[in-house]
Amino acid sequence: MRAIATLVAIGIGLPGVATAGPRATRFDGERPMMDPTREVKCVRDLEGKMWRIQCNDAKKVCLYVENEELDVDGRRAKPLERARACPILDESFDRAKYEARGYTMMPGRADAPYGWTRDERGRVFQVNFDLRKRLYLGVAYTPQKLLDRVEDPFQNKRSALDFGLLQFQWYLGGDAPTRHRFKFVEGQVRVEPFSSQVTIAHYDMSNRFLDPLLRITTFFGKPQRHDLHLNLGLWTEAGTLEMRDTPVGPAQLWKHATAQVTFDLWQSARLESFLRLRTGLGLEGARDDVNGYRSAITGASALELDCVLDNAGFHNVKLSIEHEIPRYFVPVQPDGTTKFAQRARAQFLYEAIVLAINDQPLTLKLAAGGEKRNDIPGVPDQWAFVMDAGLRFSLWAPPRTHF
Amino acid sequence: MGTAAHALLAVALAAAPARADTCTGVTRAGSRYTICFDLGNRLSLTAGSDGVGGAISIRHVIKFEDEPDLEWKMEHVLGEATHALLADGFRGALYRGRYLRHARDGHIVIPLGTPKKVFLPFDVGAEVEAGTVTWRPGEATTEVGVVRAAALIDVSRSRTFRTRVAFGPVAHWRVDLERDVRAVVDHAVAPFSLAMFNLHLESYDGLSLLDVRVEGGSAWHPRGGGWRTEARAEATLERIVLAVNDRPVALVVGVRHDTATDETIARVGARVVIVGARDPRVGLLDHR
Repeated sequence: MRAIATLVAIGIGLPGVATAGPRATRFDGERPMMDPTREVKCVRDLEGKMWRIQCNDAKKVCLYVENEELDVDGRRAKPLERARACPILDESFDRAKYEARGYTMMPGRADAPYGWTRDERGRVFQVNFDLRKRLYLGVAYTPQKLLDRVEDPFQNKRSALDFGLLQFQWYLGGDAPTRHRFKFVEGQVRVEPFSSQVTIAHYDMSNRFLDPLLRITTFFGKPQRHDLHLNLGLWTEAGTLEMRDTPVGPAQLWKHATAQVTFDLWQSARLESFLRLRTGLGLEGARDDVNGYRSAITGASALELDCVLDNAGFHNVKLSIEHEIPRYFVPVQPDGTTKFAQRARAQFLYEAIVLAINDQPLTLKLAAGGEKRNDIPGVPDQWAFVMDAGLRFSLWAPPRTHF
Repeated sequence: MGTAAHALLAVALAAAPARADTCTGVTRAGSRYTICFDLGNRLSLTAGSDGVGGAISIRHVIKFEDEPDLEWKMEHVLGEATHALLADGFRGALYRGRYLRHARDGHIVIPLGTPKKVFLPFDVGAEVEAGTVTWRPGEATTEVGVVRAAALIDVSRSRTFRTRVAFGPVAHWRVDLERDVRAVVDHAVAPFSLAMFNLHLESYDGLSLLDVRVEGGSAWHPRGGGWRTEARAEATLERIVLAVNDRPVALVVGVRHDTATDETIARVGARVVIVGARDPRVGLLDHR
């Protein structure tokens, strides 16, 4: 009797619910989505079909939705994906009782996990992406290509490819939050003029120390305490190779290993975004047709900004200003007396998600950079600038951690 | 019978089994043997007309409890190498990987405004190579493939590794080194200016494998005249003909053409699996 009462109550209580068959017009408009933090219950209608129901006592609204995905004709096609377990009511859901208490019954959409949503048919798809956990492949073009050859805008000169075969991050919370960042086989190759850069392995780490290095108390007016934190971390790379063609021949730079100390000037709540200074030493070897092979110990410093601008991870900005001073073991050209060289580099990157294919994001990349160096014979010791616009296809990119 | 009874279990010559399920053979004496093989998880040695070599292959699937219709099919090949015996030739790769995201519900999401989902009938994925090295007999240069990557569209949408019909754009960066002084002779850069097609078929029992791969397009050679057309095609057929202690021995035949060398090379050889994962469908324990 209880089961029959339930079916009757639902059949009466949910207008249109018990109506079988196609309902092509029922997808008009945006249905509200169920709250993933509130309880959801399942009930059967007069035809034995399962429905999800969620009532909001504060708003006096009950949302109901089919417990299956729908096909294009509105028929139940398959179980909902990434849906919570739904306890099946063994007692009646009395719509009349709810309406008498002021509740409104509305068709809705089943809830989805953080980072995912559903369309009107209940199909789940990802809308939040962590671009720091991915494999990516990209291609870019410089605007100069179009300016140079307006008559042939599809010429592939001045194009570039970039890649990162695996990168991921690992966050440890607790009293001393730490984020570990790993990147493997990441680089870029430009076609004309040819230049390339690839790094086999990268690891860096950010910390947040809860105890301040200094506590400064001011006594102007009401006494106030100001904490000065020294959030130190580590930055390392191994196996970086840079190659480029110059008027006097090819040049190669092998950065065997680099280790630097980082000082975070600003950190986001979970250390995903930061502004930091880093400085340290590296061991490198360079080869060109003028100097032959030479080794150096390189002092390097940089200011870095890495920022996710929105919670969904759609907009990402990176900025870096780097300065390196290789100190060679032997004097090098052009004058044959100095053992020092200088490299300065500034880079800006904006990356935004434009669409996702099977939940794998395709991003638009806009980049600009400048470089000034005197360590490569044949390359003028002056600033050179380049701009890129391109696309990147990323695999993996799971939803950002929910916090 | 002992160990000898389990040796030389020739699949093709197997006696009519007294009792057998799909992947487990049983002799008249009741001994069980393998008749299905896992082609994706093995350490194998290959000896053939193009030389002697080996590779470590690993396959695995990443599944999700909350989305049973989604899985990642992961394939890795580590340390693949072939050295010619009668000439000074070598071909090897530190790592090759293929990652295919198989979903029953393929789709594209347009996240502008209210996100929209549009159905697409294919799986997506990627194929990557890092650290390939090739030198050919009589050539003064060594070809080092720093990286090669392809974005894949798999229209077969197979849930298993047995079928793949994939195509997509390819990017690569290769360096030609002078073998004696290891100086850079030229680069070849393809910023997704190549396209590839791959057909891969494996029989249900894992006894036969066919892989056909075609790749073509243009790559930029900064010192070699700019953009040059390049194309290569390769077909491989592998057939397990016998097994020793349930370790398969396969006959491998193949043909490869490369426009860079303008030559077509056929090869034939034998592949021995030294260590391999047992196909999970095989049951060698006798529960009688």
